Amino acid sequence: MSTAPNPTDLVFQALASQPRRQMIDLVIQSPGCSVNDLCEHFEFSRIAVMKHLKVLVEARLILSRKQGRTRQLFFNAAPIQMIYDRWTGEYSRFWVTQAVDLKYKVEGKSGSGKRPAQRKQAKNKKSRSRKTQSVTRVRKTAKRKAKEK
Amino acid sequence: MNAKTHTQSNTDAPPTTTQVSQVTIKAPIQQVWDTLTQEGKVLPFFFGTVMHTTSLGPGAPIRMRTPNGKYTGVVGDILEFEPPHKYSMTFKFTNFDDGVCKVTHELREIDGGTEYTLTSEAIPVGTKTEKNMKQGGEIITKTLKACVETGKPTVMARFIMVMSKLMAFTTPKQCLSENWPMDRKTPLEGSY
Repeated sequence: MSTAPNPTDLVFQALASQPRRQMIDLVIQSPGCSVNDLCEHFEFSRIAVMKHLKVLVEARLILSRKQGRTRQLFFNAAPIQMIYDRWTGEYSRFWVTQAVDLKYKVEGKSGSGKRPAQRKQAKNKKSRSRKTQSVTRVRKTAKRKAKEK
Repeated sequence: MNAKTHTQSNTDAPPTTTQVSQVTIKAPIQQVWDTLTQEGKVLPFFFGTVMHTTSLGPGAPIRMRTPNGKYTGVVGDILEFEPPHKYSMTFKFTNFDDGVCKVTHELREIDGGTEYTLTSEAIPVGTKTEKNMKQGGEIITKTLKACVETGKPTVMARFIMVMSKLMAFTTPKQCLSENWPMDRKTPLEGSY
């Protein structure tokens, strides 16, 4: 009697390999790439790439679509999202994000799905608004002093 | 490897990309299809908007409007309508001046349920549309699964619906429904 494998097991098995994680990174970077494109990044054979890819497809982390004579590869974030949802509540989600963001900030890595450029942009925006606030404060103080005189 | 531009057919055209989200829903295919294509009802998986159309069939216009009908967030025309398996449409956010994309909803019967795939094609790279499509795709698949399986949307979807109502006054004037009547053709000069 054969039982269908647990989808969560398949995801963890698929992610428990460095080359497979690298494959996911490459597909995210280049959605719609082909198997040949992936092979260029690995020293091992095409057959080995195909075997790793099969594991990722079975876990539904990679979706493979036939386009003419080739296959296009896409990343599917849904299985990872399901795992995230299973073990994080609405409150822990908020606090964990804060803690992880602090870790990224201290270590100089990007977090919260924001690229370093976006974070820099957000930071500039924030500092601009702070500058505006301080200018307004100085003007108000000057007005108050003028009235007092 | 430069697949960011893999969908680009013309070298002069702006680069476009494709995003795919897939999820398994523990429900019969017809139930998923009926939930997905409900007219005149608030759809939590489409961010609390209501689908307006003249008829559900190829060529018909689609307008995703707020429950009070004042604003229209998304406009498009149906391209393919094959119940209960496939439904595709052109897609444009009314608040952005980006190109028109193509969105396809596909359903497939599998053991123990239905496989739902959401594909967004011809998304102009580096635009606000790209960012919204990426976040939206994940929320749509997750919320549709929750709605069909449990009968209620996720906490995140409910939060988005409440926030949309509260922040309605910040919606740009170009999103007013009077600017997007049913007979106005979706601008097709975009990427799609």
